[in-house]
Amino acid sequence: MSQPAVDQAFFIYFYISLSILSIAVIASRNIIHSAFFLLIFLLHVAAVFLFLNAEFLMVIQIIVYVGGVLALFVFAIMVMNLKEELRHRKFVKFAGAGILAGLLFFAVFYVFIRNIKITPEKPLLGDVNTLGSLLYSYYLLPFEILSLVLLVALIGGIIIAKKNPREDK
Amino acid sequence: MINEYLLLSATLFTIGLIGFIIRRDLIVMLMCLEIMFNAVNISFASFSYYGGNYTGQIFVLFSIAVAAAEAAVGLAIVLALVRSTGINHSDEITGLRG
Repeated sequence: MSQPAVDQAFFIYFYISLSILSIAVIASRNIIHSAFFLLIFLLHVAAVFLFLNAEFLMVIQIIVYVGGVLALFVFAIMVMNLKEELRHRKFVKFAGAGILAGLLFFAVFYVFIRNIKITPEKPLLGDVNTLGSLLYSYYLLPFEILSLVLLVALIGGIIIAKKNPREDK
Repeated sequence: MINEYLLLSATLFTIGLIGFIIRRDLIVMLMCLEIMFNAVNISFASFSYYGGNYTGQIFVLFSIAVAAAEAAVGLAIVLALVRSTGINHSDEITGLRG
């Protein structure tokens, strides 16, 4: 916070690069290129978390997203072996209407967030101790329920994606 | 200030929404879902920072875990669909029974 101009410059860089990377995820024709643009996008989002004094979230973002979710995407692309993708068209027929609906959504959202004010008590200094003690005391029940959600997703993913045994006969 | 972070969040959410609508590949649609999740997480973290409260960061933790579960189940569904019918485009799925 001691150098607002430097902060501003970095924020503008992250704004532009995040926008370009997310557009590149959509616009690239090869799916594996989309996955790699998504990788760089997620690392930039981790840097934005670092700006907001959320060091623990940055670490979790890199571990879970880059190490888990993106590896899952790359594995899925590899297993499906989509070679014929380059010939097909990328977008649906009503792509113009989709873009229009998205821009309308952005306009409405911009009207909402344009004049937002938050009373600045004091900006949060990222403290992992406080975050951990809050997570294990006040938010203990949602935390445990979340472990159940992950277990159900794990079992469900395995059951859905395994081969149907009747087809093998 | 918080306006800039919310504008960043809105921009990324809009790009993810447009990509989810207009792309045909199911895997890229799931990637656009991840973009939207990240936009919402930025919004949560900025409210947490400027409001001086840790609740936003804890919700980002929950959101990241739910996003991981969503990606696992979604990719499993796409994999099962591709394996059973050979379709991986969203506008070619016309039958309910494989």
